[in-house]
Amino acid sequence: MLNLKNIEVIYSDVILVLKGVSLQVPEEQIIALLGANGAGKTTTLKAISGLLHTELGEVTDGSIEFQGDRIDRLDPERIVKCGIVQVMEGRPLFEHLTVEENLMVGAYSRNDKPAVRNDLERVYRYFPKLQVLRARTSGYLSGGERQMLVMGRAMMAKPKIMLLDEPSMGLSPLLVKEIFKLIKQINEQEKVSILLVEQNARIALDLSEYGYVMENGRIVLDGPSLKLLENEDIREFYLGLSDKGKRKSYREVKHYRRRKRWLA
Amino acid sequence: MTEFLQLLISGLMEGGLYALLAASIVLVYKSTQVASLAHGQILAFGAIFLYIFLATLHLPLVIALILAFAATALMGLLIERTTLRPLIGQPLFSSFLVTFAVFMLFDGIFQLIVKGGTLTIPHFLPAGTLHAGALMVPAGQLCSFIAALILFGILGLMFRYTKVGLGLRASAENHQLARSTGISVKQIFSIIWVISALVACVAGIATANVTDIYYTLPQMGIKGLIVALFGGLESIPGALIGGIILGILENLSAGYLDPVVGGGLKEVAAYIMLLLILLIKPYGLFGLVRIERI
Repeated sequence: MLNLKNIEVIYSDVILVLKGVSLQVPEEQIIALLGANGAGKTTTLKAISGLLHTELGEVTDGSIEFQGDRIDRLDPERIVKCGIVQVMEGRPLFEHLTVEENLMVGAYSRNDKPAVRNDLERVYRYFPKLQVLRARTSGYLSGGERQMLVMGRAMMAKPKIMLLDEPSMGLSPLLVKEIFKLIKQINEQEKVSILLVEQNARIALDLSEYGYVMENGRIVLDGPSLKLLENEDIREFYLGLSDKGKRKSYREVKHYRRRKRWLA
Repeated sequence: MTEFLQLLISGLMEGGLYALLAASIVLVYKSTQVASLAHGQILAFGAIFLYIFLATLHLPLVIALILAFAATALMGLLIERTTLRPLIGQPLFSSFLVTFAVFMLFDGIFQLIVKGGTLTIPHFLPAGTLHAGALMVPAGQLCSFIAALILFGILGLMFRYTKVGLGLRASAENHQLARSTGISVKQIFSIIWVISALVACVAGIATANVTDIYYTLPQMGIKGLIVALFGGLESIPGALIGGIILGILENLSAGYLDPVVGGGLKEVAAYIMLLLILLIKPYGLFGLVRIERI
């Protein structure tokens, strides 16, 4: 459904961030995108959602296609209308608006009022807590509530693909579990594809059907998530496990040599 | 006591117009973060347009009013499109200076039309004064004050209850986030400049109806900016209250202090007030409280 072909992204005309990234998001699947800080995961998401244009970034090569149409030259608001919504890192809210107003902003690109009402009720069914807090100024919400709100807001746009940037960041393990359960539910019940950027590799690979690993602006590894979970390098660098499934003693790792192969 | 009340009432009436002008500046600042110096000209040209349609083309009042509003709205839209939109993403200070350039440009045109004198618009608001005991209220000023209040009410309702209002408030907070949720921020900028120009136009026409189009009329823009700063650049209620306070202060200083110092203090009052307020409350009376979670 969404198809990135060999895209290259340059910031401020000089800084080359993505050096030929290709990935696919098929319908109704969860795709994980893993990688260290600065690998280019967020930039990839922004290239898809068009938010790159707001940061002096540009897709200079390759193409992004969504359901057969090129979208890499469109404004972000047009891309939302096409059905792709990005939930940005750090859970940004319209802090001076109430919870319900935030949700309604999510539906700004739509004109079908009764359906929007319906979807509001549906979002409240997924996140009952938001209904309780509906009149609260959103700037005062807690981290978990904020995460629910940004996901609810994205749902209000009735997207076909949601791009989630680190939904687990800064949340307690229990909350992370709950959030990921909800992500799975949304994926299955709303038939929304999800492109998931995560630092928490274990939970992301458990949830997703297919995964990509990025490093230095390139995809260095991809495959079905189950396969990736068994991959030696993934186990070592992302899950911190050795061959026997035990915790790795980092004293013994010849870090640089293993890394070198990936960077080459 | 009567004198005091009388000054209070005149101040209130004048303040209503300052408040409108300030509100038009606040509207633009709220959503685009640009403090506009150009609004004095928009106000003045609102009056000029009415003068052209009413006094030189002799159109019927209603049509002339509608055309004047349309022309001013177009002027706002053009300013946004030609000077501010190309600067989106550039430092805000550039945008601020560009509004000053716009002010100077239109000031030239304005002076060409007015030629350092006064243009008189046929007064269409009811003439005469209302009397309440010893107090007098000019009917025309009362009309424009009420119109100002109604306009404030409409603005408030629009912001709170309409979809456009929601979009305006959302993009006022965070442009990038607004775009990521599907709001066309450029479209919002255009809408806000049109609304703002219309508000300034009402203020301009009402002012011209009281004082005629005097050659210093555009400088009211500076006072508008002062009121906006005073009330907090992001607050529309702040603009209303700030405007009224300025109007009352001006009239009180004109009534009580001018006889002592020999006149002219009315014009200074505004600036003294601004200095004091900015010393005590740098964000203005109702500036946005930053929400910080601890």
